[in-house]
Amino acid sequence: MTTDRIFDVQNVTLRFGGVVSLNDVSLFQNRGEILAVIGPNGAGKTSLFNSLTGVYQPQDGTITFTGRDAKTISIIGKKPHRVSNAGVARTFQASRMFSALTAFENIKIGAESHRGIGVLGAMLKGPATRRGEKESDARTIELLDFVGLRDRANIVSASLSYGDRRRLEIARGLATDPQILLLDEPAAGTNPSEKVQLTELIRKVRDVMGVSILLIEHDMKLVMALAERLYVLNFGSVIAQGTPDEIRANEAVVDAYLGTSTHDAKGV
Amino acid sequence: MRHFLSQPTVRRLFSAIAAIAILALMTGPAGSTLTPTAGLTGSFTEPSSFFGLFKTVRWVPFLVIAMVMWGIWTLWLSRGAQVKDLANRATAIPRAATQRRPIRWGIGLGLLVVGLLLPHIVTDPFWQAAMVEQIAVYVLLAIGLNVVVGFAGLLDLGFVAFYAIGAYTTAWVTGALPTPPLFGIHMNPFFAIPIAIIIAMLAGIILGAPTLRLRGDYLAIVTLGFGEIITIFANNLYGITGGSQGTSAIPHFHLDIGPVKYAWGLTPVPYYYLTLIFVVLFLAAFSLLEHSRVGRAWTAIREDEVAAESVGINPLKYKVMAFAIGASTAGFAGVVTASQSNNIFPSSFTLSFSINILVLVIFGGMGSIFGVVLGAIVIQTVSMYLLHSPPAGYQPSDLYIYLGALLVVMMIFRPAGLVPSKRRKREITLSEQQHEGHLDELLTGDTP
Repeated sequence: MTTDRIFDVQNVTLRFGGVVSLNDVSLFQNRGEILAVIGPNGAGKTSLFNSLTGVYQPQDGTITFTGRDAKTISIIGKKPHRVSNAGVARTFQASRMFSALTAFENIKIGAESHRGIGVLGAMLKGPATRRGEKESDARTIELLDFVGLRDRANIVSASLSYGDRRRLEIARGLATDPQILLLDEPAAGTNPSEKVQLTELIRKVRDVMGVSILLIEHDMKLVMALAERLYVLNFGSVIAQGTPDEIRANEAVVDAYLGTSTHDAKGV
Repeated sequence: MRHFLSQPTVRRLFSAIAAIAILALMTGPAGSTLTPTAGLTGSFTEPSSFFGLFKTVRWVPFLVIAMVMWGIWTLWLSRGAQVKDLANRATAIPRAATQRRPIRWGIGLGLLVVGLLLPHIVTDPFWQAAMVEQIAVYVLLAIGLNVVVGFAGLLDLGFVAFYAIGAYTTAWVTGALPTPPLFGIHMNPFFAIPIAIIIAMLAGIILGAPTLRLRGDYLAIVTLGFGEIITIFANNLYGITGGSQGTSAIPHFHLDIGPVKYAWGLTPVPYYYLTLIFVVLFLAAFSLLEHSRVGRAWTAIREDEVAAESVGINPLKYKVMAFAIGASTAGFAGVVTASQSNNIFPSSFTLSFSINILVLVIFGGMGSIFGVVLGAIVIQTVSMYLLHSPPAGYQPSDLYIYLGALLVVMMIFRPAGLVPSKRRKREITLSEQQHEGHLDELLTGDTP
């Protein structure tokens, strides 16, 4: 069996006017892998995420996604909701909840979004609609349990703590029944104990649900603990890749990002 | 001196006097070309009575109103929190009660009974006609626009277009227009209902599909233009629509199924019941819709379109759907109006009509079905009352001054409307908090 790649990014270039945000980026992710993308601010990590989820349309290169059914589709040119329906879920750097809705409703929206629309069914509340509601409710409760937010189900998401909001966002993403979950700085703004919980949760998502994880993160402790492989971006280009140990030993990476006492403050 | 003027209390006093001075000017006499300043001076120096007690000049009672307003204002600022607290405690129990299902059903049934008995309580022919033409139909329009504005969060300023499409479709299929009717048959207006709903819905989709990609203000402008286009078409396509004369030959509804024969006529009461049935049906359908996954998807799009897309919701599809549902409701209201009044004129389908419906929705509480119904009933009843028995000095054209003032007051004290929807209210409080947060950041220069 050839390697089972869930994401395959080939020579992707993304420009905004004269600014090159991603420059000839090639990377891949194997199914079931926890992969991390690290790099300094402005390196193009979030641009990469947005290209992978259909928010940005790169000018050059190809991005393909292979689902469980072994069907390979091209991401470029697809709208974000189509990418989500294909099996790619994501969270955002500044967590984007439906703030006026409860935790329960937030997850339920994710759980039912890939069903058909059925306006007439909704207006008449026919048996199919009732059944759909029940299924979504059950799935929502399951996910609340999974991320440990069951007791906070009816709290408006804006009043949740930062760490809880992160977990809620993960649950909402999982509700869409994805094959890969893209996490954009999940640990940002969380306290050390929340970080530990989050690390466990992310690993559980992969181990229990079989969902591949693609991670952007600044917290090196978390990245090194979780990731099985890393890519390092700098100025829109991949400057290194490898296992956590290889990356730690890589001089280019240390120069650009991790920094040492002698190289510090010279790079920029 | 400088210090004295910058005191908030003093500034409030000046604001109160300025506001009341504007009111005095608004209600005062008008100038003419010979005496251009007569309006200005007359507004303050004309003889007037002091609230019917003694004779004086105008500025005296107005100054008293300003002082009272300033007093209430100051008091509100110092004791307002206590008053609000008291009001909250007083309404806590009824509010908690209305959350419970059986009680909600009870309230609904009670209101329905009142609705059924109303024509027997109100026997004045003016009010009976107003109940149909000005209240029930407007309730229908308001709950339709609420789907677009309240649920999906799209600002539609051309809602009248779909209402006009419904009315003209009725005229067309019943054979009241210069154009030959569909299949050459002069249909019963009942058959116009599905046809008008479908045509209005199609119009909604045709307008919505390309324009709903736009956001916020742009959509408002496009819909505004669409409303105008429909009116101009109705006015100028003389051979098709009858031009500015409109048409006056639309038949009433009539039933003719075997032994069941009934014809609606000029008396408003049968129309009232017919419209009431439809209003109840639409209300039921829309409340189910609000709490279905469609309603939740609309909320998600309204709150954060990017996040909604990321969980697989197609915003365009849902927006077009909201637009089509709103449009078909307006089209349906058009059928009822056309058949009930027998006649339609392009001049009744104006921008101010769209704005009027929007006012009902905003006043009642965007996104809250009960609020919107209540808002429509309150505003329409008040404006009908002012028309029926105008107080001294009131002119029909003044209506919008008062509605505008009412809306300004509402936006200050109850920004989410008369009976706000829970979600909408949370959204407004959240955005206010966020705004305050940003202000704090700007003022103190540090980020939380």
